[in-house]
Amino acid sequence: MTTNFSRRSVLKLGGGLLAASALLPQHAFAQAKAINYWHTFTSQSEQAGLDAVLALFKAAHPDIAVTPENIPNPEFMAKVTAAVVSGSRPSVTMVASERFKDLLAMGALIDMTDRVAKWERRKDFDDKRFESISADGKVYGVPSFAFVDWMYYRKDWFDEAGIAVPTTLAEMRDAAVKLTNPSKGRYGYGLRGGPGGQNIIINIMEAFGSPVLHADGKIGLDREKAIQAIDFYAGLLTKDHAVPPSAANDGYRQIVEGFQTGQTAMIYHHTGSYQDIASKLKPGVEFGTMAIPAGPATRVARLAYAYNTITKQEDADTAWQWIKFWGEPDAAVAFLEKTGYFPASTVAAQDKRIVGNPMYKAAADTLGFGIPQPSFPGAAGWAESSVLPNFQRVLIGQATPEQAVDEMITALAEATN
Amino acid sequence: MSRVLYTAANPPARSAWEAINPMRMIGELSETRYWMYLLLLPSALLITAVVLYPTLYGIQLSFREMRLNRPALGTDWVLFKHYARMLADPIFWTALRNTAVWVTSSIALEFTVGLIAALALNRNLPGTKVLAVLILVPYFLPNVVAGHMWALMLDPRLGVINDLLVKTGLLTGYKAWFADPSTAMAAAIIVEAWHSFPFFTLLIMAGLKGIPTDLYKAADIDGAGPFAQLRLITLPMLKTIIAAAVILRVIGLVNSPDLLLILTNGGPGRATQVLSLYAFQTAYKDFNFGYAGALSVVMFILLMGFAWAYIRLSKVNQD
Repeated sequence: MTTNFSRRSVLKLGGGLLAASALLPQHAFAQAKAINYWHTFTSQSEQAGLDAVLALFKAAHPDIAVTPENIPNPEFMAKVTAAVVSGSRPSVTMVASERFKDLLAMGALIDMTDRVAKWERRKDFDDKRFESISADGKVYGVPSFAFVDWMYYRKDWFDEAGIAVPTTLAEMRDAAVKLTNPSKGRYGYGLRGGPGGQNIIINIMEAFGSPVLHADGKIGLDREKAIQAIDFYAGLLTKDHAVPPSAANDGYRQIVEGFQTGQTAMIYHHTGSYQDIASKLKPGVEFGTMAIPAGPATRVARLAYAYNTITKQEDADTAWQWIKFWGEPDAAVAFLEKTGYFPASTVAAQDKRIVGNPMYKAAADTLGFGIPQPSFPGAAGWAESSVLPNFQRVLIGQATPEQAVDEMITALAEATN
Repeated sequence: MSRVLYTAANPPARSAWEAINPMRMIGELSETRYWMYLLLLPSALLITAVVLYPTLYGIQLSFREMRLNRPALGTDWVLFKHYARMLADPIFWTALRNTAVWVTSSIALEFTVGLIAALALNRNLPGTKVLAVLILVPYFLPNVVAGHMWALMLDPRLGVINDLLVKTGLLTGYKAWFADPSTAMAAAIIVEAWHSFPFFTLLIMAGLKGIPTDLYKAADIDGAGPFAQLRLITLPMLKTIIAAAVILRVIGLVNSPDLLLILTNGGPGRATQVLSLYAFQTAYKDFNFGYAGALSVVMFILLMGFAWAYIRLSKVNQD
């Protein structure tokens, strides 16, 4: 038997197949909702924490596929800026509080006020948690976890030397000097003078009485107090020689490795590095945690939040499911157990797995007096492009504290005017 | 029966299909002078889209206010405001000076090592093929990988380089290479040279294969030694290749801040701040795209000037 195809019948068949193939994928996509999530998790512990939350989310929402995409922290703003300008935004973006104002100003964030207001877990979060992600009465994100500033110290060294845990910056300096022994390759303090160190420098200046963002909203440094702060902090290297000589280039990896390998007695970071430290040193035996010491003017410990924000309107409904899931106590505690990052939810923070662990006491105390990172358009750029390099110039002897602070003040004026 | 003679003036009649046959039309078009333009059209469109348009956009950006985090400032034309600011900007001058050091030192080191490697590999001794592959390995590594690898190797705590130097007595203690302004740039240049010298090796080796061996035999007979042969035969014969390689590497070095971004981030202080890194930071940390555009235009002009001067001075196009 032979079958004859006319040109018309072939065209009809082709057209039918084309129409069917065009319909099939749309049908498939309608079943599985997909979003992508830009984040800055890089360490193994952070990745493990994200995996834990993803696994819980998948069990709760099998119809939603989340594709996490890591954006290294130093490149984060460049990538997000390019995505916003080119219109290739991610569905959900993790936003650190100090970046909020810049991202808002460039139109990267979508108003979430109504969603947050109607959220059944909104009452689990203190109003303060939303301050750093709100502007003009509108809310642009939900806190997913907290960066609670604290310090790690070598408990065994402190015990051996009979030194009490410092509560002020002056005591911290004394302890650093006493614990320094270059012949043993030991230094009292692991100073982060390289990438990421700018926020600590700003904190020290504020602790000396020179906040960059004042209570009335004005922006500016108190020159004399800032000079005292820079003189004190850089002096740990230039005068006291109580920090490793590599301080001007030391970033996160270097300070954590220095502490883990027995080079330094104290480091300043946040709870997010807890699991990394605990993987090498015994908690409560070899190392302890302490609240950030108070400065001459005030105690400055940042209580910053990482926020999840909707950055693509088309995916907003699906994105909201993922964002609010981070507020579930099980997700928050699973993330804490893998990373050390504190829950942003007050309910989750009361979990017995947290309050029953003495190593978290310093962080729990800090929740009471911690303050948010100063945030204004240009803040992050000024901190990275001026505060850090000028502080480094003092560390390497190319500038005095006075010259460095004058440069910071000039750059701050340029960044904000 | 009469025969019909078909000529250009009297072509055979075409069927309707032949008249619209695209292959026939293309065939006829290929015989005309427009064919060349048609072939160039796709690449011209591509270059316009990915090179020309961004370049022109970047140039016009340098004459406008464009701060992404300060939308209230608008995007008005500001003419030469950014260029005037640049003249009074000490970081710009530091970055310009550092760029000159970074580029000239890196090129000199890469060319020297690349030439030596190419001459050695060109001798076709046993094992040179394996060595040629090994020598090319650094060039195949992405800058990010090479940067992180060397950052660890030169680490003052865990770095193997410090360990070796201390054990061999060349250093008394571990050195923080990237934290000391007197060594940071030199250390970065060595890393850059290690990463990119195979580029010169590869091109010079290709050039060496094209030099007739008769020239060397004649030079031997005339009593020319190896250095005389290098100076009088090899280098002149490689002139065009060397010029092309130098220009390409200079463009790469001036434009790419990634290695310095990983190793030093421009520090300590401004010790390794170069123009490309400064432009990148101005755009993506300060979100000042207008000023970053002006910095990029200056880099563009410097590169054009360099390429023009280098080609003239090396007399490449006079051969």
